[in-house]
Amino acid sequence: MTVPVTSLQDLVERDRDHECEGFGSAKVCVRVVGVAELPTRFGAFRIVGFWNNRDAKEHIAIIKGDVLGADAVPARLHSECLTGDVLGSLRCDCRDQLIMALKKISAEPYGVVLYLRQEGRGIGLLNKIRAYSLQDQGLDTVEANLALGFRDDERDYAIAAHMLQSLTIRSVQLMTNNPKKVGALESYGIDVRGRLPHLIPPNPHNRFYLETKANRSGHFIDFGGKPRLTEQHDLVMVDGMPDALVEKE
Amino acid sequence: MTAHEVRDVIVVGAGVAGLAAAHRLKEAGRAPLVLTSGRGIGGRCATWRLDGQPVDYGVGFLHGVDPELVAAIHSVGDATPIPGWPRHVEGRGTPCQPRAFAPQSARLAYAEGVSAFPKWLARDLEVRRQTTVERLALGDAGIVLTLASGEQLCGRDVILAMAGPQAETLLVPLVEDSDEVDAARRLLAMLGALPSLTVMAAYDPGTPEPPFEMLYPEDSALLQTVAHDSSKRKAPRALVLVLQALPRWSRAHLDTPPETWERMLLDEAGRLIAPWVRAPSVTRTHRWKWARVDAGCELSQPLLIPLGAGFRLGVAGELFAPGGGVEAAWLSGHRLAGRMLESRPS
Ligand SMILES: Cc1cc2nc3c(=O)[nH]c(=O)nc-3n(C[C@H](O)[C@H](O)[C@H](O)COP(=O)(O)OP(=O)(O)OC[C@H]3O[C@@H](n4cnc5c(N)ncnc54)[C@H](O)[C@@H]3O)c2cc1C
Ligand SMILES: [Zn+2]
Ligand SMILES: [Zn+2]
Repeated sequence: MTVPVTSLQDLVERDRDHECEGFGSAKVCVRVVGVAELPTRFGAFRIVGFWNNRDAKEHIAIIKGDVLGADAVPARLHSECLTGDVLGSLRCDCRDQLIMALKKISAEPYGVVLYLRQEGRGIGLLNKIRAYSLQDQGLDTVEANLALGFRDDERDYAIAAHMLQSLTIRSVQLMTNNPKKVGALESYGIDVRGRLPHLIPPNPHNRFYLETKANRSGHFIDFGGKPRLTEQHDLVMVDGMPDALVEKE
Repeated sequence: MTAHEVRDVIVVGAGVAGLAAAHRLKEAGRAPLVLTSGRGIGGRCATWRLDGQPVDYGVGFLHGVDPELVAAIHSVGDATPIPGWPRHVEGRGTPCQPRAFAPQSARLAYAEGVSAFPKWLARDLEVRRQTTVERLALGDAGIVLTLASGEQLCGRDVILAMAGPQAETLLVPLVEDSDEVDAARRLLAMLGALPSLTVMAAYDPGTPEPPFEMLYPEDSALLQTVAHDSSKRKAPRALVLVLQALPRWSRAHLDTPPETWERMLLDEAGRLIAPWVRAPSVTRTHRWKWARVDAGCELSQPLLIPLGAGFRLGVAGELFAPGGGVEAAWLSGHRLAGRMLESRPS
């Protein structure tokens, strides 16, 4: 395996037959299959497409600047959320979080957003809709949400770690509000040089975070009376929100 | 309340899920008691003896991709595995579980019948058969189970391992005690299960052997599968076919007399295969009201609900792991036991 890697495009050739032992208990193995320019309204990026050899899922990295072999690369993990990212749903903050991450890396010399395509963790969109349906009936319970597949962080961090390694990124600054997530990534051999808080600006839809407390199960109740599940990897932090609410996780 | 024995763990349902859980708990030093309504062991992993010859009338063969499950089905003592069965598949209809034929999927049957697997899981377990649990209630010493006989048992941990609608019914009386149970019950109500009407048909010696081991007809509104069951047996005395009806058709005929739908299914199989199929020498029917989970209705893991003073209610079964079927049933039970042991080792 001595394909010289001098550009992102070379990763495709390098990974042509890639197979490895895999990361994490799910033995996740991904390979780069395509690289292209991606001009967006948030800045000019490149998009790297990954294929997960084990579960046939696609994942992408959105990249700013020259990250090959780079150190202390600002990095954000984002889990796909069709309802939030695409449809602008107000049941979660995924879209705000994604946009903030893209804006932030576009303002840096380099950075990466790892966009993990496993909506609702494994089973997907349908079970997320079932979770919402339970919430509509006034039930937002830990076990039902787990059974419905909310949050399989371990797996996500395994995929992210492999993606970073595939991109030859040497170390990252993780964009997260939860210090524990640093350890999660480090346990897969990724050198985490620090943590960047991931603040989203207040807007009419998330202002309740500044005014209310989390409920019993740790979820915020929004203005519509619905619990706001944490669909991304860490708690939301809206600029101006008391730190005490966030640190407790 | 009457005095009753308090048990460490009670597992309700001796299907693959319940037995996988009980087996793992027992290996870790816990003392599970398994209760199950039927006379046999294995639930939908079911083998009937038709004149002494095994006939699989629920799931027809085992399959899976998970390395632990694959190892488990390959290490069943007292059974003769038939690797790769079905090897001769005909028809382009949809299998019950299309994943069974994915390249990475291992498949196998046993000459003794698929129930060899659950029987093996149960080999060291205390199983009380013909014991139906009718009602659950929260007591001072644990979760109280009222049996159909009127007898009561009590478990500090109780696992429900059965079809979704069956578990849903048992959860109802506990809804008042816990939002978690309420959510679980409503969740199960959203998922449902598919029915399948089944006919086992045996034919006299000298009947021509059909060329397939499994037939998935592509142009039938009635039949989902025809299994050439006797092709799994060592020295079959009779040719046996197992006909399983499509979910939609099954649902429409669930409440009609078995003689009616048996005749219709045999005629349909005759049309698809050959006229002799219409006239078996012996038949037996089975009405699977909840044969299997519908695709897109599976959850990702079992439930473990804390109740009262440190008691726990676990819910497992094929619904509680991606993909459904025997593999999911086994994984859900195995994982539930793992979780229970993590938080309260023996
Ligand atoms: C016709 C048919 C075709 C199938 N095809 C496939 C296939 O191709 N591939 C595949 O992987 N799977 C298939 N399956 C599904 C597979 O058989 C099941 O998913 C699996 O066996 C379920 O195991 P379980 O332990 O979850 O539940 P079960 O096997 O249903 O076990 C539950 C047990 O609990 C008992 N019970 C229920 N309620 C009570 C109570 N109140 N008190 C005491 N006992 C109780 C039941 O009698 C039963 O014995 C098929 C099933 C059928 C019927
Ligand atoms: Zn790899
Ligand atoms: Zn979302």
